[in-house]
Amino acid sequence: MELRLNSVRMINHDQSKEFSLGELDIMEEELAIAYINPQDFEEMYLTASLKLHISNENGEIIVNFEQDEDVPKGTVLMPVSIWSNQLTTVKDGEIVNKNIAVQVEASRDPPTKLNVIIKKIRNE
Amino acid sequence: MEKITCTGCSLLCDDIIVKKDGSNIEEIIGACLKGVERFEMISSKHRVLKPYIRDGDSLEEIDWDTALNKVVELINKSNNPLLYGFSNTTCEAQLKAIELAREINGFIDSNSTICQGKALNVAKETGFTTSTLTEVINKSDVMILWGFNAVESIPRLLNKILFSRGKFRMTGREIKTIIILDPIKTDSFNVMGPRDIALLIEPDKDIELIETLKEICCTENALPSNEVAGLDKDDFKRLQTNLTNSEYISIFVGQGLLKNQEGKNPLKSLFELIDIINERNKKGRASIILAGGHFNMMGFEHVALSNTGQNQSLSFNNHQLIESQETIISKIENKDFDLSIILGTDPISHLPMRLSKKLASKPIILIDNSRSGTYLIADLILPTSISGLETDGTAIRLDNVPIKLKKVIDAPQNLLSDEDLLNKIIEKLREKREGI
Amino acid sequence: MELYKFLPQTNCKKCGKPTCMAFALDLLKRKVKIKECTPLVEEDKYKEKLEKLKELVGDEEGEEKELRINVNEDDCDGCGICVTVCPVNARYCYSTLSGKAPEYPPDSHQLFVVKKGKCELLALEHCRRIAAEGRERECRVCETYCPREAIKIEYV
Repeated sequence: MELRLNSVRMINHDQSKEFSLGELDIMEEELAIAYINPQDFEEMYLTASLKLHISNENGEIIVNFEQDEDVPKGTVLMPVSIWSNQLTTVKDGEIVNKNIAVQVEASRDPPTKLNVIIKKIRNE
Repeated sequence: MEKITCTGCSLLCDDIIVKKDGSNIEEIIGACLKGVERFEMISSKHRVLKPYIRDGDSLEEIDWDTALNKVVELINKSNNPLLYGFSNTTCEAQLKAIELAREINGFIDSNSTICQGKALNVAKETGFTTSTLTEVINKSDVMILWGFNAVESIPRLLNKILFSRGKFRMTGREIKTIIILDPIKTDSFNVMGPRDIALLIEPDKDIELIETLKEICCTENALPSNEVAGLDKDDFKRLQTNLTNSEYISIFVGQGLLKNQEGKNPLKSLFELIDIINERNKKGRASIILAGGHFNMMGFEHVALSNTGQNQSLSFNNHQLIESQETIISKIENKDFDLSIILGTDPISHLPMRLSKKLASKPIILIDNSRSGTYLIADLILPTSISGLETDGTAIRLDNVPIKLKKVIDAPQNLLSDEDLLNKIIEKLREKREGI
Repeated sequence: MELYKFLPQTNCKKCGKPTCMAFALDLLKRKVKIKECTPLVEEDKYKEKLEKLKELVGDEEGEEKELRINVNEDDCDGCGICVTVCPVNARYCYSTLSGKAPEYPPDSHQLFVVKKGKCELLALEHCRRIAAEGRERECRVCETYCPREAIKIEYV
């Protein structure tokens, strides 16, 4: 299903900026998360045990999700983080991190690990 | 017991009380979660205390002399260094950073270039009406949060501006109106009272909204007949009443309004709207406050402007400032650098993947005090003390007021401040150059 | 005589009144409290009646219940809006008028304080819902304006 992604700053984001190498899970728990509208949740036939596979031409990630009525229908909300940055891009010398078209599907795989992304960043 | 200034965000609250027990902070009274987070950094187990150098996948601890020599070696090898960050440090360190950039003929830019600093570039052409927070507290009767979620990014801001009882607003909340314009229903919507206005606008339609507001502020009967940006006639009627009949309008601009829309800059239109209101509204005035996140984001603009005459994106050649259209984004995008020095920021966490990859392809020297995403890819990591808590200094608040920061406790293991470390690097570089 | 229907109607006199009807009348005038009718509270067969009666008497019974202001620590982000907006704080802690944190150690009347980024309740007995008279007693500002909806005023 095609949705629009908005990445925003949240207070928890600053809290989990710090992490130790042994506690990568904490960062994944806090930041590898997307919020969607309950109506979209129903339309995609999701269940709580599934994960979301979000992708566009810039990249793809698998994240946990939560339902939130405050998120407008047709959009996904994510905290600004390494995970949401997989989908953001640069256009005309500006960072585009709001209102990005993404393809959202249900997935059974675990959320994308931080070290997988870090490896991707390091090996260009 | 001591009253200190908090450096958690750009509001720089100066009413925080800390109780000390030797070198420990026992109690923090008055600070929000974001501020407490910064205090907790002092004794956090994730804090970096020793310099590290990358060896493949792992980091190796090294001593300070080796580390500084390595910095000098990397800098001397580089022809085109890039310096980035500097919004989480004091003005004094920012001044040193510009000196370093001049010394090594580098390109220096701060986080504000991709954040609220964009507005100042627009203001160069159009001018810009702003006010201080004290004015807002004492006079303002209408506050507009535009694309800005105050509750998440500057938690104590609403407390200070909306709920306080100012000199000319004695009854406080009752006679202050808040207008929230945002595409998402944020937590800030929960502070709404009966007279307030909260409007969900369609994403990327701010510019249409501003253009319509400009019209209805000029002529009373110009209300649009059909929906604009998801708002109907009644909404515009209410906005018109508030914009034309208020005594003091303060508009807080957040991240949501910074991006170009349909090739046009919404900030430019907003500044024009402010001019129209100020011209036509005989009773009062309107002003804009840029609500940045990092505690000294505005500082770099001021320091760079007073030191070089240009507020951001400084390019040096032959130790002289040269004219250039580059910004940090275009520099990284075109891979127009061969070394990056990053101070007090975490670009991996806020730049798109494409830029992170390009940044990681060249050596990175990271100067920071805690582990972050960038820590995992940096080649050389130098720890410093925490600005504003372990060192004195100056910072500039979001409303462009300089605030003095007071040292609270000593830095552990004699860590240098950002300013001293940069100074040491500059000295080493000069020694080396004169030695040859 | 709605209330009489939900009493045991046995005229057992355990409450000290001659009849259940008399008890109902006194209950209406708030001279007695529900729990003084011991069979109603203790015996299981009256459970439904007790619930109904409590619903009917409801808020009139306020004196019996205790005021609680619950602050949900997980949700609270220490913004300090409750500290500034509370009318009791505004009266006794001068600096809250301009949105600043109150002096420390706190005034004996101060209701809220933000410690370590979380709101804490200090002196509930000075809350307007207990100490004030008339309409001021209906004060709910801290609950209304908490942006995180972390404050709940309850009677238990």
